[in-house]
Amino acid sequence: MFDLLMRSRKFKIGAAVVLAIILFGIIGSLLTPDPLAYSSQYVQPPSSQHLLGTGNFGEDVLAQLCTGTRNSLMIGALAGGFATLIAVLIGGIGPYKGGVLDEISNAFTNVVMVFPMLPLLILLSSIMRGGSMLLVAGLIGATSWPWAARSIRSQVLTLKERGFIDVARMSGMKDRIIVLREIMPNMLAYIIVVFVVSLSIAVLTEAGLSMIGLGPDLSSNVTLGTMLYWVLNNTHTALPWTLWWNFIPPGLLLTVFLVAVFAMHAGMDEVFNPRLRSV
Amino acid sequence: MLKRLSSVLKRLYNMLKRLFAHPFVRFVGKKTAFYLIVAIIALTFIFLVPRLMPGDPIDRMIPPGTTDAGRLRLRAELERYFGLDKPLLEQYLSFWANLLGGNLGLNSNFRPVATVVMEKLPFTLVLVMPVLLIGFFVGNWIGARAAYIKGKVSETLYFTSVFASQMPFYWFALVLVSILAVYIPIFPTSGTFSARFMPGLNFATFADASRHYVLPFLTLLIITTGGWATGMRSMTLYELDSGYILYGKQLGFRNKKLASYARRNAILPQFTGLNINLNNLIGMTMIIEIVFRWDGIGLLAYQAVLSQDYAMILGTFLVTMIVVILGNFLVDIAYAFLDPRIRTGRG
Repeated sequence: MFDLLMRSRKFKIGAAVVLAIILFGIIGSLLTPDPLAYSSQYVQPPSSQHLLGTGNFGEDVLAQLCTGTRNSLMIGALAGGFATLIAVLIGGIGPYKGGVLDEISNAFTNVVMVFPMLPLLILLSSIMRGGSMLLVAGLIGATSWPWAARSIRSQVLTLKERGFIDVARMSGMKDRIIVLREIMPNMLAYIIVVFVVSLSIAVLTEAGLSMIGLGPDLSSNVTLGTMLYWVLNNTHTALPWTLWWNFIPPGLLLTVFLVAVFAMHAGMDEVFNPRLRSV
Repeated sequence: MLKRLSSVLKRLYNMLKRLFAHPFVRFVGKKTAFYLIVAIIALTFIFLVPRLMPGDPIDRMIPPGTTDAGRLRLRAELERYFGLDKPLLEQYLSFWANLLGGNLGLNSNFRPVATVVMEKLPFTLVLVMPVLLIGFFVGNWIGARAAYIKGKVSETLYFTSVFASQMPFYWFALVLVSILAVYIPIFPTSGTFSARFMPGLNFATFADASRHYVLPFLTLLIITTGGWATGMRSMTLYELDSGYILYGKQLGFRNKKLASYARRNAILPQFTGLNINLNNLIGMTMIIEIVFRWDGIGLLAYQAVLSQDYAMILGTFLVTMIVVILGNFLVDIAYAFLDPRIRTGRG
């Protein structure tokens, strides 16, 4: 599966950029000073001392960007993993087992597809705002899985009809073994890409929630979204939109990240979607 | 008499039976039942959320520094006032009774929540509806064009729409304001009306609100248009590659004609994406309203969150959820109307 994916140019480029951003977050946050170290040099434009200038409390924006990237990706990974897990359970077990279980899982996915999940998420996080990053990740994961469940469901439905599954079943293999040995290896690449896309949606959602102050606790956490929050709620100018060095970096980084994931997703479509297959 | 009544009833029954034999009617009936169930689940969530949440809203209403005895008495008083001393089932039933009667309680300024929400709802809809419709048509038009023109223009169009659809919309709002309101001051930075402006039913009010409307509208429109364009491009590319187009080409059909065939087949799956797009758009609009201080439901909900006004929070989210569900229902009906297999009843 992965050698197939690697043949797609879109997937390769996208994956390289995503990897670079992950490394930037992890290594950068080790090399830069404390992102919450306050000083009296408020909202200074970029200089040789602070490559990306300083923020609302005189913190180094570059340090915030590195740690923010790491934290945003961490929340994204947790939320994306949680969403993928729910999606695999709901979108995978139902159609595999068939019968009533399939009916239930299908009806359930249909309901949640049109369910106002984003308003529900905003409602939940406004009531529980100021929590930990883990809580925010949990809330985002719990409300962002419907599309993933549907795509895993359709994938399992086609996989189930393949001959080798029938052979395995007729040879008396247990369901558990069939799922682990026959289905999982064929689904793994697909599930991983579902996870990556879920992760990117979660990163986007977290930054949006944090920007309006509904993300993790603002005084002890730095994410790409809280950086945007302190632009809108800064205490130094009535025109926060002139503080470009404060809001262009996190937004641009998010954009590059999301476009890279989009490229990965498009590359995956070339491989998995028979309608678009070109590699 | 009885005989006539029974014959009337029988005719009525047959009429209904014929009516429901029509696939379009049956489709609408099925969808109505489905969305009623979704609405019941969504509103039950609204009922359960404050009751299952960690942290006690009643506790927050009691002013700090109250003595323990006073705390207990105030607590009992407040619980009785909000009906929280009754069994859960009774609370749930009265929740529905109030809801169906249009009663959402009073906010912390003792104004009916339903009235306040209804005042703000038009400001949200005036953003959502045009963005949904214009974004759908313009985005799909661009996407279809990008699919059958070749070369540099097509590539540029594609990359622009990918960027537009993947940008974080709330960040794009900041960028747009900094360019079009701060560095080149054409539009106001935020708000619904200018400061110290008395809104009324006149042209000046309309003109003032329109100037404030442009930037939030553009933000949402560009992002959604980009999404439709990228989707439509890949759908049309697939259609252009399929058998009937190749066959048409060999028969000597004009390219323009073939493109219109491909477009028509590509637009149907796009239509099914309208549901998800609507759901996202409502959430996006709530956040964009907060960023731009646009006086809609999103900003109202946000202010209610900041002032911990529980009745107001639940009221705004309740109405938002009803709008989302109703919108989804209408999209589904429109889809059935556009799909000739369902509309005419000949599959």
